[in-house]
Amino acid sequence: MNYADLFRVTLPETALEVAALLVLVVDLGFLRKAALTVRAAVAALLGVAGCGVALWFVLTAGGASLSFGNDLLLTVGGTAAVAQAGILVLTALTLLLLIDAAFTRHVGEFVGVVLMAATGGLVISAAQDLLVIFVGLELLSLGLYILTAFAKKSAKSAESALKYYLFGGMSAAFLLFGFSYLYGLSGSTNLHKIVIASYALSTVGAWPLWALALVMVAAGLGFKVAAVPFHLWAPDTYEGAPAPAAAFIASVSKVASFALLITVGSIALNPFDFSRTAHGVLRVQLSFGVITSEVLTPRPLGFLAPWATVLAVMAAASMLVGNLAALAQISVRRLLAYSAIAHAGYILLGLAYFSYGSRSANAILYYTLTYGLTTIGAFGAIGVVERATGSDRMGAFLGLHKRNPVLAAVVLVLFLSLAGIPPLVGFWAKFNLFAAVLSVHAGPVSLALVALAVGMSAVSLYYYLQVLKRAYVMPAVNDEPIRVRPVTMLVLLLVAAGVVLLGCFPAVLQGWIASFYPIIDYVRMPPG
Amino acid sequence: MQEGLGFTPQLTASSIAHLLWLIPTVPMVAAGAMSLLKQPRRRIASTLAIGSLAFSLLLSLVAFGHVVAGWSHGEAVRETVNFTWLQFGTSNVDLGWVLDPLSAVMLVMVSLVGLLIFIYSVGYMAHDENYTRFFCFLSLFAGAMLGVVISNSLLLLFMNWEIVGLTSYLLIGFWYQKPAAAAAAKKAFLTTRIGDIFFLLGIVWLFAQTGTLLFYNGGAGSMEPLALGGLLAAPAAMGLSAAGAIGLLIFAGAAGKSGQLPLHVWLPDAMEGPTPVSALIHAATMVAAGVYLIARVYPLMQAGSLAGGTTTALTVVTWVGASTAVFAALIAVAQNDIKRILAYSTVSQLGYMMAGLGMGGVAVGMFHLITHAFFKALLFMGAGSVIHGCHEEQDVRRMGGLKVDMPLTFVTYAIGMLALSGFPLLFSGFWSKDAILESAHKWQANQWPFYMLLFGALLTAFYMMRQVSYVFFGIWRGHKPAHESPAVMTLPLAILAFFAIALGAIGTPAWPWFRGFLEGHSAGFELAKFGEPGFLPLIATSTVVVFVGLGLGWALYGNRSPRAEEQDALEKVSPMVWGWLRDRLYVDELYGVTVIAFYWWWARVADWLDRRVWGGAVAGVTWGFRSLAHFNRFFDNYWVDGGFDKGCEEMATGGGLLARVQTGRVQTYLRLLALAVVVLAAILIWSSRG
Repeated sequence: MNYADLFRVTLPETALEVAALLVLVVDLGFLRKAALTVRAAVAALLGVAGCGVALWFVLTAGGASLSFGNDLLLTVGGTAAVAQAGILVLTALTLLLLIDAAFTRHVGEFVGVVLMAATGGLVISAAQDLLVIFVGLELLSLGLYILTAFAKKSAKSAESALKYYLFGGMSAAFLLFGFSYLYGLSGSTNLHKIVIASYALSTVGAWPLWALALVMVAAGLGFKVAAVPFHLWAPDTYEGAPAPAAAFIASVSKVASFALLITVGSIALNPFDFSRTAHGVLRVQLSFGVITSEVLTPRPLGFLAPWATVLAVMAAASMLVGNLAALAQISVRRLLAYSAIAHAGYILLGLAYFSYGSRSANAILYYTLTYGLTTIGAFGAIGVVERATGSDRMGAFLGLHKRNPVLAAVVLVLFLSLAGIPPLVGFWAKFNLFAAVLSVHAGPVSLALVALAVGMSAVSLYYYLQVLKRAYVMPAVNDEPIRVRPVTMLVLLLVAAGVVLLGCFPAVLQGWIASFYPIIDYVRMPPG
Repeated sequence: MQEGLGFTPQLTASSIAHLLWLIPTVPMVAAGAMSLLKQPRRRIASTLAIGSLAFSLLLSLVAFGHVVAGWSHGEAVRETVNFTWLQFGTSNVDLGWVLDPLSAVMLVMVSLVGLLIFIYSVGYMAHDENYTRFFCFLSLFAGAMLGVVISNSLLLLFMNWEIVGLTSYLLIGFWYQKPAAAAAAKKAFLTTRIGDIFFLLGIVWLFAQTGTLLFYNGGAGSMEPLALGGLLAAPAAMGLSAAGAIGLLIFAGAAGKSGQLPLHVWLPDAMEGPTPVSALIHAATMVAAGVYLIARVYPLMQAGSLAGGTTTALTVVTWVGASTAVFAALIAVAQNDIKRILAYSTVSQLGYMMAGLGMGGVAVGMFHLITHAFFKALLFMGAGSVIHGCHEEQDVRRMGGLKVDMPLTFVTYAIGMLALSGFPLLFSGFWSKDAILESAHKWQANQWPFYMLLFGALLTAFYMMRQVSYVFFGIWRGHKPAHESPAVMTLPLAILAFFAIALGAIGTPAWPWFRGFLEGHSAGFELAKFGEPGFLPLIATSTVVVFVGLGLGWALYGNRSPRAEEQDALEKVSPMVWGWLRDRLYVDELYGVTVIAFYWWWARVADWLDRRVWGGAVAGVTWGFRSLAHFNRFFDNYWVDGGFDKGCEEMATGGGLLARVQTGRVQTYLRLLALAVVVLAAILIWSSRG
């Protein structure tokens, strides 16, 4: 990749970074004397504008070609573009939720850090190289640690941030260690080259080392998506972090990490063979690998088989632990943390049975985007209830439909969608995902895992309904109305409307995601 | 039988076709708004309902005008607007709507009759407490019915079909305090559901075979030659092609909705609902939806027939329709409830429509559907006016002489009755029924349906004469004197009466405008058609039959004023046959001792299994776990030290076993993280050995 291409590919990231610096300058330089609400509004709106510009860059990148030499650091288009667009929209929603959340005086820094963390998310969505992946992950993670600790006066916030940091640090160490093995075994840091090298390697008998490397990589990525057994940080962090930070961790960070896993999965199936096309031009949808007729014939899984096994084990464990542990929670935030673990389990199932075509990738993207949207709404609503009652216990939701019927309706829609009740968007997400799994492989193991997932979804209905039962059925202890500030209400209504409408018209989002794979081919340049 | 000759696939749709979705949506949105209204806001509710339906009528008229304009320029309009609703993998489910003569005619009929009945309801329901709820349901119904009409996709049609069924249930049970109304609502819902299950099977099968549920899609729809060819080639069972089998399944759904044998039992009971509901849903529109459905999928029903021949599906439609026509007319003779007589008459007339579709094609069946909608709505609303005027009395034997007390109602009712009886030349019912008889006469397969329908016509004239004699002639036998209804109720009657006469003009053999319009060829005015061989004798036969029926009725009941305690004039002739007919030929009883008894016993068996077998299994498992728990407690108490006990207590309060690893101590977390990596790696290496 030459520098001009690199610059073009990183335009969205650049836009976000510029916006982050701008926010800092404006907030610290010009608005020192202004009221906190004004500063929050200005900072958040600047951040939203930055997201808008970045989104424009993402969506207009289509049609361009990417020339490459012997390396490929980042890609544009395809899954990367969908994930990046999702990250930017979700970041903007998080920033809007910040306007009314008065937990800190340092709003400029908060917005700045959010934008920088989102930059990390954009980077890992498009990364094709171990080093770029690691840098992006660290950029995202460091941002998240800071955001978790942002409520300086809350001991809980500091404690959860420290736990998150220590856990994350150790996971990163594992990940890097795994990466070093991969590099040592394949001689390259590029994912495509590693996969191609693995075909030769599997005959040599470096088996245990491969397995160890893969498990370590899985540990590092499993930490990001909060998959069992690397989930231990999640409940504490979700409980202690300020609400917008928790929403950000639960949505944006998830989307980015799953985008990375999709990249890994699709490259593992469709690696691009640099040696065969020394000088070529790639069309923009490159992140879904390069499927030509010759590559479409399934290769021996080699590299992929143990990777799929690890993911399947993590998926099953996450579904079980997440859903069962959620049953016992009293804190709604911890409940959402365990539910996030469960949802990560479903998605990992889709990654374990990954398709050669774009079907699995589309289903997973659909799932993560809609899940992220729903979760942001859920954390927004919890933040409102928390501020009004001072608690995130289930009891705080008692009689919510009398205290604020609109808020209660939003909670109803979001939680039912999380449980996967049609016609809400969560139903289609699950349906597509499970259908994709079974279309890839319909053997006894995958059938059993899907059956487990469906059964566990039924279990999850119980704990979601626990919250709704308190909001709608059980008698209220306090009839005092809950006020919701207008911007927060707007965001919540937008999210709820999105969940309902996207659910009623599932083809809209599916079609949009699918539209990012225009032509699947690559152009060979004449040698010389 | 030659339908769709002039239709060419149209890929572009006019602006009115693009706006067609507004026709059902506006009443539905109005219903949604009404559902939020408080009970006392009566004026707003009825204004919203009438306003939204008036808007739909306006738009329907524009759409109708567009189709007529296209037709008069010699092109058959069929415009579709389709969109993808959802996709999974490589297959799509598309929805869409269609503007063609069939849907245009139905749109105008449904919105016009609906609007008149809405206006009438303002008077009829004026004293009801739940006025707002009534209009909310009525609006939802109108929206869904219009949705059925414009659907270009079997799936979209089915969705609206189900909403229509739901509102029918809600409105039959509108006075849910009355046990009879609640039971009737349940019966209607369950009976139509039986048909709907077959319908759904047909839909799924069609989708599996053709990959689309759109009717028309520029050559790729399921009702277009390409898909039909594939359906014909695919064999089903017993010599049927897939096309025939799917057609029969869809017909089962239509039979449920349109009260055909043997699923007709719910329709007479549905008269427990308010009379405007009976007029709108259970006479004019919803029950005709089944007929409309068959007309919509006619290419499928007809697929594989040679010129002038018929198909298995159409033969079944014909026989079921003709049997229903006679069967229900027989029962109607011996009923005494003013609405029940009309209800059986509706079942019978729906049978005529089905038979007309089966033997004569879309135009024949649809023409009777349209004329019947107007005169039957007129009769029901007239009956409502009578009931209203007689202080909620419904037994015809306790009425009489109302031609003096309720002159306006009498005149309009008489028009409706003559139209239904098929009084020659002047009334629309004569022409539409005559078209059916003519096609039955020409049907090559069998002449029996013709004689059955002719007998049905005789019965129709007879029972209507009987009813009118009871209600309007003779002397008053009620308690309080009757009074005429307010203008808001009689004005719609007058408008409907006008249509009951005038509509005949567009379907006479001399000027078959309606047929030409539906089938897409021009229709000229030729008096010579009357002179065709065999035509005049046919008209003469049906005229004689009608006069015999009317005359018999007048001879037996005219001006006699029999009291309720007396024996009926027919009962004196043959008490046994009369008893059968009065008890509705024991169909309900038959279902009671077969289907319902079977389910009752099956429920008993299931209950027993549930209590004894499964319940026992669950109890056994519970017992096992309880004993395990006891053992655990023993183990805990005596074997494990106090520290562990404390841990268990904490676990019990803090959550399940799984939350226990969540100690909150980050050292533990990190240790577990390392452990997890080791375990996972061990699993992997161990599993890849083998």
